[in-house]
Amino acid sequence: MSKKLTRREFLKRSAILGTGVASAAILNACAPTPEPTKAPAPTAVPPAPTTAPAAPTTAPAAPVTVAPTAAPKAAFDWKRFKGEKIEALLIKNTQGDIMVKHLKEFEELTGITVGADQPAEQQQRQKLAVEFASGQTSFDVVYYSFHVQKRLFGKNKWVADVRDYLNDPTMVAPDWDWNDFSAAGKAWSTEPDGRIDAVSNKIDYCIVYCNKELFAAKNVPLPKTYDDIVSAAQKLHDPSKNIYGFVGRGLKNANTMLWCWMLLGWDIDVIDSKLNLNTTSPEAIECAKMYQNLMKNYAPPGVGGFNWNESQSAFALGQAAMWMDGVGFAAPLEDPKSSKVVGKVAYVVMPKGPKAQWAGMTGDGMGVSAFSKKKGPAWYFCMWAASKAMLARSFAAGSGAQSRNSVYTDPDALKSLVVPKEWVDTVVASGKIGRAALPIIVPVTEFRDIFGVALNNMIGGADAATELKKATDEFKPILAKSEA
Amino acid sequence: MEITSRALVAQRKKAYSRRGVYLWFIAPAVAVIFAVIVFPWIFTLWMSVNDWRIGSEIKFIGLENFATLATNTRFLSTIPRTLYFTVLAVILPVILGVFAAEVFHQNFPLRGLLRGIYVAPMMATPVAIALVFTMMFHPQVGVLNFLLSLVGIPKQLWVYSADTVIPTLALVEVWQWTPLVMLIVLGGLASLPTEPYESAVIDGANQWQMFRYITFPLILPFLMIAIIIRTIDALKSFDIIYVISQGGPGTASETINIYLYLQAFSFLQIGHASAVVVVFFTIILALAIILLVARERLRWNR
Amino acid sequence: MESVNPVRKFEIPYRLNRFFGRVALFGAVIAVVSPAIFVFFWMLSLSLKNEIDNIAYPPVFIPAPPTLDNYIKIFSESNYVLYAYNSVIVSGMATLIALLVGVPAGYGIAKGKAQGLGMLIMVARITPGLSYLIPLFMLFRALQISGTLLALTISHLVITIPMVVWVMISFFEDMHPELEEAALTDGCNVWQAFYRVAMPIARPGIAVAAILAFIQSWNNFLFGVVIAGRTTRTLPVAVFNAMTFEQLSWGPVAAAALVVTLPSLLLTIFVQRDIVTGLAAGSVKG
Repeated sequence: MSKKLTRREFLKRSAILGTGVASAAILNACAPTPEPTKAPAPTAVPPAPTTAPAAPTTAPAAPVTVAPTAAPKAAFDWKRFKGEKIEALLIKNTQGDIMVKHLKEFEELTGITVGADQPAEQQQRQKLAVEFASGQTSFDVVYYSFHVQKRLFGKNKWVADVRDYLNDPTMVAPDWDWNDFSAAGKAWSTEPDGRIDAVSNKIDYCIVYCNKELFAAKNVPLPKTYDDIVSAAQKLHDPSKNIYGFVGRGLKNANTMLWCWMLLGWDIDVIDSKLNLNTTSPEAIECAKMYQNLMKNYAPPGVGGFNWNESQSAFALGQAAMWMDGVGFAAPLEDPKSSKVVGKVAYVVMPKGPKAQWAGMTGDGMGVSAFSKKKGPAWYFCMWAASKAMLARSFAAGSGAQSRNSVYTDPDALKSLVVPKEWVDTVVASGKIGRAALPIIVPVTEFRDIFGVALNNMIGGADAATELKKATDEFKPILAKSEA
Repeated sequence: MEITSRALVAQRKKAYSRRGVYLWFIAPAVAVIFAVIVFPWIFTLWMSVNDWRIGSEIKFIGLENFATLATNTRFLSTIPRTLYFTVLAVILPVILGVFAAEVFHQNFPLRGLLRGIYVAPMMATPVAIALVFTMMFHPQVGVLNFLLSLVGIPKQLWVYSADTVIPTLALVEVWQWTPLVMLIVLGGLASLPTEPYESAVIDGANQWQMFRYITFPLILPFLMIAIIIRTIDALKSFDIIYVISQGGPGTASETINIYLYLQAFSFLQIGHASAVVVVFFTIILALAIILLVARERLRWNR
Repeated sequence: MESVNPVRKFEIPYRLNRFFGRVALFGAVIAVVSPAIFVFFWMLSLSLKNEIDNIAYPPVFIPAPPTLDNYIKIFSESNYVLYAYNSVIVSGMATLIALLVGVPAGYGIAKGKAQGLGMLIMVARITPGLSYLIPLFMLFRALQISGTLLALTISHLVITIPMVVWVMISFFEDMHPELEEAALTDGCNVWQAFYRVAMPIARPGIAVAAILAFIQSWNNFLFGVVIAGRTTRTLPVAVFNAMTFEQLSWGPVAAAALVVTLPSLLLTIFVQRDIVTGLAAGSVKG
């Protein structure tokens, strides 16, 4: 039941997600119709130039899930690329860990040998950018973040258009079910011109982790609005007892996420689809002031140097009443080996802001390097990594919100869930109000860095309006240049 | 060189004629150096006059990158910051290093082992050490604040505050590199003549006077070497800052090297970053020359 | 070291009060050595505790009971044996090549008075490592050797060659020329004078050069991050892999840090005497 509802809601909310007119096309393309990629909208995407390299018998536009064996020659075969070797550049995160852990399954299923690499996130992002830019990649499959790299990859066409495979029944496992992917997940991986760059693996939402025990002790209700957050932080803040009202990312770059998440409560995007910067708008300033207030007055000393890591430690130790961050951090909080707040965490859907209630989202997925000589086997790996079974495993491990709708009702996953059921409810509820938090631009890193410095200065007491103005002036030419 | 005063003129001539032969000793190194060191310099120089963001076209823009740098307040603020860090990371190790060298110059049980342990930080992998220090600096749960609390000092913010981040990072650098200064000075102490001390003892000089008037002037050349090496390495310091603070909070610990890394590998602005390299390189070279000149002067004065 | 110290015989008059001198020295030794001991102890302690103890306050000093989970985790997730092998090959080869070309070069520069080349080496030594990275990366791409141990070794020459040449120049400059002159007069050619006479005398200097070059190369992180591939990664880069996004990982990070640092620490304990001797023999006098 929740599956259907979610899907419809996903669809609704992703109207916000795409950029400009093209987003309508994307949306239709992503709607659960039997046609995976052809959009019936006026701005219809032309049929994919079916150039699947290893598949001369392409059956154009054959509905993936309906007739996989329509043409006898076109039967899907997991073993088709037996004996090939591919390289996968993943990230050191839970999702990557699970892939590596179950790699044998893939190798036995397909006969493809996989060299999987998991550098730390920051190094991985730098590595792949340098490799892509030099026109050769040492990897065939790449795991990347849509909220950081979507535009960079899309603009440069660094990853192959996977529509070629989606349209080709010989390249998609019959039970794989592209339509099981959430509309938001599809929208994340779709470019404005209709290309599909990746298979979405997970979507994360901003939530507020609340320490139930601390809230109950002072009889403070869990926050439902932004005002509630501020007043709860104020009431629960007690530095003499080593209890702080709020904690979150203060380190530059990382902290920009927090501000962008909160800004959605004023119902505006930080940079709109026409690339106008809303960063000096009254809303942006008000939001920055709220960030400043929470971080300067109610957060632990030194929060200006905190990334998710330090924030998580503070919350896990029971030193922070609230922690605002992505939904994927729950598992360690519920592990007695790393947390003192096991069973005491309330997973609160992002409260309503002054204008609206949105859960800021980020997303990851996997694509095939455009420079790969083994695109077919690489695609098989993407497919396997985002299969129902694999995403159900990630879901059970509490690694954020998975892109497939079916995992939320997967009985096995629910049974082996390492986090409480309330967490799942929060994920599903967040899914209904999800909205992209970071702008879809090339210089995301510069954006996060420059505004991160401004926000960090605010924690130190600098004036919000002045800092945002300065950052905007600095960032504007960079943005203009990147889109020129 | 002493040979000039001692050797015969004929010998000198012979030595001079051998110069050509010595070039063959150098040739292989020169070949390798050109490939892996000089080539990158030229490449960097060329890139510094181009506009190139990885993933877009390379465009020749003359000196525009440098003009941009000259007015870029964020870049300009990295220079005094780098110098501040460098001063701390040179002076403290020199003082502490001399002290440690005096200590290890004495005779005591287990000296070899303890000296080995003392030298270990300088051989430890900076990235690994930096990660451990990060945990030790944590303002709420870090062990250093706990140790301070034992002696009644309030909790410090260490690298988590813009005011203390540079001294704290310098502290890590001091921890890691004082042993090098110690070793160099220890080498100096070992080479000292004994006569001056003998007469000083006869004259009734105390320990401090002996250090101030005999030891210190004699080890000064060694200290100069230590200062030069330390200055260059502190200016270039990267791993520790990158791992511990990443230039933060805000830009409070963004040194030239960190800024350079950010431009090159986070923003992929190779042209801009290359211009930073050129400026950075000029600064290091200027400082190195100043120090070398100072050292030559010191030699003459002796 | 003990045998070459001329001041030793002076220690009794040098110290005014033997007893207080002894106590003060004892205190000074402790003060000097304790920071190093403490940091390494803390590294070990973190690596043997689970996360809840690692973020506990007041801190848990002695793990009770100690856990090997962190080590099991990092060894099961990363191929440290492979990374250690890569590190040994890269640093070993880079040091070896640097010695092969660097020791004669140091000799040639010192004897041939090639000041210009000496300056070049000096400048190479002061150039920030970062600035070599982009050009070398492009070069390796063009040569199609990116991500190989060969490429990594070549990049590490940037570290090892200036180090070796630099140490050797000052060493050979300080060496008394009479022996070689005698050898040359006896009919040795220049090469023989170098190989038979100068080299053996310079052995302590070569040892220092080799050790310093090897350790600098071993500890290098930056080149590995950008140039190494999945199977050619070196140890310092691997430390970062112990950090998992969304997970608290102080224990595994400390365990990885210890594993990476241990080889150079052990090496130090064993060879520190050589370094001290070499430095005392004037290898950095310049």
